[in-house]
Amino acid sequence: MIRAIRNEYSRSPVFVIWVGLLTLMLIVGLVSGIIVLVNGLDVTNLTNQVPWGLWITVDLSSIALGAGAFSLSAMVYIFRVERLRSIARIAVFTGLIGYTGAMLALLMDIGRPDRFWHPMVYWNVHSVLWEITICVMLYSTVLILEFAPVLFDSAPVRRIFPGAPRVGHVIHKFAPVGAVIGLGLSLLHQSSLGATYGVLVARPIWFKPSLPVMFIMSAVAAGVTFVLGITVLYENITRRRHISVQVRNILGVVAGIVLALYLYLNLWDFLATSYYSHLPARVESLELLNRFAPYGTTYWLVEILMGALIPVVILLVPALRKRDGLILVAMAFVILGVIVNRWNVTLSGLIVPMDWSPGVAETFSINAYRPSWIEWGVGAGVLGYILMAYSLGLRFLPLYGGDDHHDEEESIPEPENPSSPERSAATA
Amino acid sequence: MNKNSNHENQNHSEFLTRGEFMAMMATAGVSVAVAAAVSEVDVLRDLIEKEVQIDLQGAIEEEEMYGGHGPSGKHRWGMVINLSKCIGCQYCVYACQAVNNVTDEMRWNVYKPDVTETGVEFHMTRPCLHCQDAPCTSVCPVQATYVREDGLVIMDYDICIGCRYCQVACPYGARSFNWKQRTEDSGYQEEWGAAEVDIRPRGVPEKCTFCVHRIDRGLPQGRVPGIDPQATPACVNICPVDARIFGDLNDPNSPVSQAIANNPTFRLREDLGTEPNVYYIPPEGMAI
Repeated sequence: MIRAIRNEYSRSPVFVIWVGLLTLMLIVGLVSGIIVLVNGLDVTNLTNQVPWGLWITVDLSSIALGAGAFSLSAMVYIFRVERLRSIARIAVFTGLIGYTGAMLALLMDIGRPDRFWHPMVYWNVHSVLWEITICVMLYSTVLILEFAPVLFDSAPVRRIFPGAPRVGHVIHKFAPVGAVIGLGLSLLHQSSLGATYGVLVARPIWFKPSLPVMFIMSAVAAGVTFVLGITVLYENITRRRHISVQVRNILGVVAGIVLALYLYLNLWDFLATSYYSHLPARVESLELLNRFAPYGTTYWLVEILMGALIPVVILLVPALRKRDGLILVAMAFVILGVIVNRWNVTLSGLIVPMDWSPGVAETFSINAYRPSWIEWGVGAGVLGYILMAYSLGLRFLPLYGGDDHHDEEESIPEPENPSSPERSAATA
Repeated sequence: MNKNSNHENQNHSEFLTRGEFMAMMATAGVSVAVAAAVSEVDVLRDLIEKEVQIDLQGAIEEEEMYGGHGPSGKHRWGMVINLSKCIGCQYCVYACQAVNNVTDEMRWNVYKPDVTETGVEFHMTRPCLHCQDAPCTSVCPVQATYVREDGLVIMDYDICIGCRYCQVACPYGARSFNWKQRTEDSGYQEEWGAAEVDIRPRGVPEKCTFCVHRIDRGLPQGRVPGIDPQATPACVNICPVDARIFGDLNDPNSPVSQAIANNPTFRLREDLGTEPNVYYIPPEGMAI
């Protein structure tokens, strides 16, 4: 089988070097992971004051970037935007990679990885984290089912099991059901991830109802931008267009509008919590953050300007949107914005100490955190996994060209063609 | 052709007729009028008032029984810490570290010198406050920590997955995590007493238990926590100035209930609604 793959796909030296580099990252991640499992979380720089850090940021960002899957699946299968069928597969793939990557980071992060299954058995329905765990597990199952037809349709699998595409076709019949369930589960847990922080009354920086909404909106915007960016990147590597101009426009406009709404919400979150009101605990926290951490700079410069404002302009102005280079800039900025946002949200609440003493002595010093090398190593491993999955997936799997591709012959159907009446009738 | 049929299906149905529209408006108006009139009928009004009163009564009774929240058990264990008596010797800290085998970095019972707004220095100590509406228990995804019937916030080390959300959620920083596997005792045993509980495993958080092992062993033997030392937390027993008092908050004659009845007391960060079972008697110079 390996020889067959080898014969079928030409090996460009650049690709081999790239995969070699990623393998190195995976080895670093693997070694770091083993060190964590053997020695426990003592190898991290996490403390009792700052018990969450880099890995939480990794898994929050990874899940946010996977949000393109449910957003675009919903648009294709529920709202019937037929044109978007050509990116349905890459969207689901993005979700699958994002969620599995997040699970890798989470598995390292929990103190007892051997008990990762406990939330399924020992329920606490009052816990927002329990709800997230259950939703993420169920949604990952949905993603696997949604992705199975793509796998069954790939050349290597077809070679071994000629009947695989048929099985995939049967599973694919349930795609609209999966999209509805996926939409519900994702709306729940993507928001709840923000609520994880938003419900904690003791941390004035976190305690606000806007966090869940800001989390899901930034996730949808980032997820859709990510699918668009990855596609444009892939098109430039293969020197061939895989999606039509219309699809590119839809993706750009949807991501741009959601990102603009996110900016609007963010503006009012800032105005309501920090400008027009002066809750002493929150004012104090912000002062501390600005004095001891690069919070203000990173918030305004990276989260707002780079992460949202510039991408909004690129995505919504047609003349800018049609330029590949700018789409890639928008993707890079949005990814950076989401990562810095998740980092800032997590750390801002933890860095500021909680004052529980009735006295006024300033004995609660600001907390500090800098990830250890092992934490970076695991982070690199997760990143390596994500990049490797994309590199191999885009190379070996039929990720573009419509989702009913397996009904047709070897040739990839031109996605530019508006879907024929027969095709939409078959799925109706 | 598909498009055409879709288009036809999407045609709007007829507008409401003027008659239908007026009828709907009239129905809405009449409904409001009827509702307003009915609520003035004596029989109904009395019934509503009665319902409201029953609800209120129930709420008040509940409030009286459990302070508004939490456990329904016979006992509710609590502590009073008298800051006007505390001399800052930290014996309570060390005794806890010996009996519960707690290292310096993970202290369950912490001490910090503090000063009142009027500039009077005092000695602050803080165990786990065993909140009746504990943020740490509601966030736990697996119910590894929970408020027991007798008001104790319990930690089940065998169910915990080590996510540390409880640590993040506790407003008092009362939880410490086992970042590594401990192999040695805390080192306080020789001077402050033998360890009575096992070292906790790696990967789970821990916190003050109010020496639950003593309470659970003492009660069946007929001992009274807060009065008999064998059933009372180590920190309370060792205090040389009786600044710490323990007992059953449900029993009006218990030492804690008496202390609360006869002194001004406050609880830490009451604004957060956590309903702690630890009460503080303020130091001199602190208005509450």
